Amino acid sequence: MILGKSQSLRKGDEITGILFILPAFILLLVFVFIPMARAFYYSFTDYMLVSGSKTFVGFKNYVNLLQDSKFIASIKHTFYFAIIVIPVQSAIALGLALLVKPQYKYTGFFRTAFFVPVVISTAVAGTVFKLIYNRDFGLLNVLLGAVGIPKISFLSNADIAMNGVIILGIWKAAGFFMVVFLAGLNNVPHDLYESASVDGASKVKQFFYITLPLLKRTTAFVIIITTIDAFKLSGLVFVLTNGGPNSSTETIVYFIYKTAFEQMKMGYASAAAFILFFMILIISVFQMFFLRSKVNH
Amino acid sequence: MKRMFSLLLAIAMVLTVLAACSNSSGDQMKNASNEPQSGGNATEMETVTIKFWRPNGNDAENAAINKLIENFEAQNPGIKVELENIPYDQYETKLRTALAGKTAADVIAIDSPTMSSYAYAGALYDLTPFFEADGNLEDIPDGIVESMKYNGKIYIAPLSEANIALFYNKKMFEAKGIPFPSKNVDEAWTWDQVLDAAKKLTDPANGIYGLDPAQGFGSGEGPAYFKMPIIWQFGGDVLSPDGTTAKGYLDSQESIDALTFYQSLYWKYKVSPLELPPDPFPTGKVAMFVDGSWSLPHFTNNFPNFKLGEDWDVAPLPKEKQQVMANGSWAFGINADTKHPEEAWKLINYITGTEGAKIYTDMAGGLPVRTSVVDQTPLMKEYPYNIFVEQLQKYSRPRPITPAYPAVSTAIRELFEDVGQGNRDVNAAVADAVKKIDRAIQELK
Repeated sequence: MILGKSQSLRKGDEITGILFILPAFILLLVFVFIPMARAFYYSFTDYMLVSGSKTFVGFKNYVNLLQDSKFIASIKHTFYFAIIVIPVQSAIALGLALLVKPQYKYTGFFRTAFFVPVVISTAVAGTVFKLIYNRDFGLLNVLLGAVGIPKISFLSNADIAMNGVIILGIWKAAGFFMVVFLAGLNNVPHDLYESASVDGASKVKQFFYITLPLLKRTTAFVIIITTIDAFKLSGLVFVLTNGGPNSSTETIVYFIYKTAFEQMKMGYASAAAFILFFMILIISVFQMFFLRSKVNH
Repeated sequence: MKRMFSLLLAIAMVLTVLAACSNSSGDQMKNASNEPQSGGNATEMETVTIKFWRPNGNDAENAAINKLIENFEAQNPGIKVELENIPYDQYETKLRTALAGKTAADVIAIDSPTMSSYAYAGALYDLTPFFEADGNLEDIPDGIVESMKYNGKIYIAPLSEANIALFYNKKMFEAKGIPFPSKNVDEAWTWDQVLDAAKKLTDPANGIYGLDPAQGFGSGEGPAYFKMPIIWQFGGDVLSPDGTTAKGYLDSQESIDALTFYQSLYWKYKVSPLELPPDPFPTGKVAMFVDGSWSLPHFTNNFPNFKLGEDWDVAPLPKEKQQVMANGSWAFGINADTKHPEEAWKLINYITGTEGAKIYTDMAGGLPVRTSVVDQTPLMKEYPYNIFVEQLQKYSRPRPITPAYPAVSTAIRELFEDVGQGNRDVNAAVADAVKKIDRAIQELK
């Protein structure tokens, strides 16, 4: 760090800097860090909502959670969602960005069209897709029926319900990451492509040897954020399936919410929340390490 | 020019934020009743202010409550009522967090099945002495009084009730030559008769199903409300009478028979749909539909071409060994921490007493709880309301009264999903449900 050169920083500047950060820091402290610390404390008690009774129970919540079949199932469902969504959604987002990058006459329209699902509220998206997925009367099965494909019951078949959630999730979020990739793509200097063409490289070769490597930082960002979002999935589940059919789409956050506010077991739910927190933390750190790139333009 | 624009934009943004922040908790109705002071303030009466929380209802229900509060304040000059209508979905969460933080209102609306959780946690004031003094308990049918008690003490006062019955599509019955079920509450069809009719009415080619026995596979409290009665009707039960275990009851032969029958509707006879489109009954997708009294105005108002008496009718809920369904709707309780229990009781007693309940039923609908109110409301003695009211008085019983009720409700919902949607082996599914329920009850010992 260049602290050694700080004699050029006047005392007043330092204090001004701190004052600028202070409001945000206080907000973070009051609304994020302190509640987190309290929640961490609650996770070691059997705090029940309403009665407010708290008795210290040590690691009992954590131990019980690791044996709780519902919690384990919710972890499986969340991982299934994440493992499919992260690569597929990112690939689609990149594909869309490549399609939308060249400045043809109507690319602006398509760019907006792909981005609109991001802006639609989760509740609206979930409700509309619920109608589309309906087994007997939904648009999906009507179209499939017209082509002779047998019906898909996303909403009543426990084995494939999660796939319905995945499709909705990707449809909803891909546009956002398309914009991120677009920014990354626009940062690739045009002359690199020109000189590659001059050297006779095909478009495909250009993609793999110029575009992808220079997108590493953007890709890392996309993957990390998508991972975090995938693990926190709950809104779509609430509206589309409410955890069903047969609890086959219950995710970790859904489990936490139901345990805390329906079953009123706040201590237990807090412990589950922290297990999720550490899970995401470890995976994100791992990803950041793996995806670090020292590529300079 | 640019500065002007930026300034205007900034002001617009700030105003939007302020507007969004101010009305975030639904209708906040501060009762600003400036009643004319009668003469001077001769008596040194301190005004007691009571806070009142309830979930936001439809326009008619809200208007009815406002009117009742108006009347109450007129009759009780020393008491002011501060009502807060909380958005329905947020109500339970807000209530529970407020009770935990000791900031809840004096008078709170409580959904009957959750009453024992609150009473167990010590959040509710014991109303038994109040009821014995001037609550006119004899006016309330026994089945409903049961739903007001936890451990022998009364904790809530019910205002209006609901009930479920069998709605059927007359035109479809006529087309297949099936005789209509009787409208007499004491002549309910058995489930076998219903199944017979359903088989004839089901038409898979046209996407028509003969029967939906319990509102498909929803969420929230609905599934337990509609599906527990099926177990009761076959002679089974969910919990032991003392509420300590499900073993021996949920897994009894009668309960298993009930679940096997339920499963057969979906998988053996295929007369019931695994997925329901919206409003399946008025749109002619389901011939027989178990639904609640609250749907009567819904069908009449929103489907004017689907006429009661011509296109559809109501019959009593099917029975098997027993004729029974659940009672227990929204009621009012008093916060155990209140500083004004007597005033809170006066308010509740007025709203749910004969005078108040009659005004409420007239303005907002719902089934009256008190026999005195039923006697004063001719509509309740006529078809189709009479079916619901008589069933409520003669054949209804509360859902299990236990502080572990939320877990019981979830376990029942999942059990019926397992068996209905998942076609799982009934014995295995029931064993799982018993385990879940017993564990939840144990945790609250």
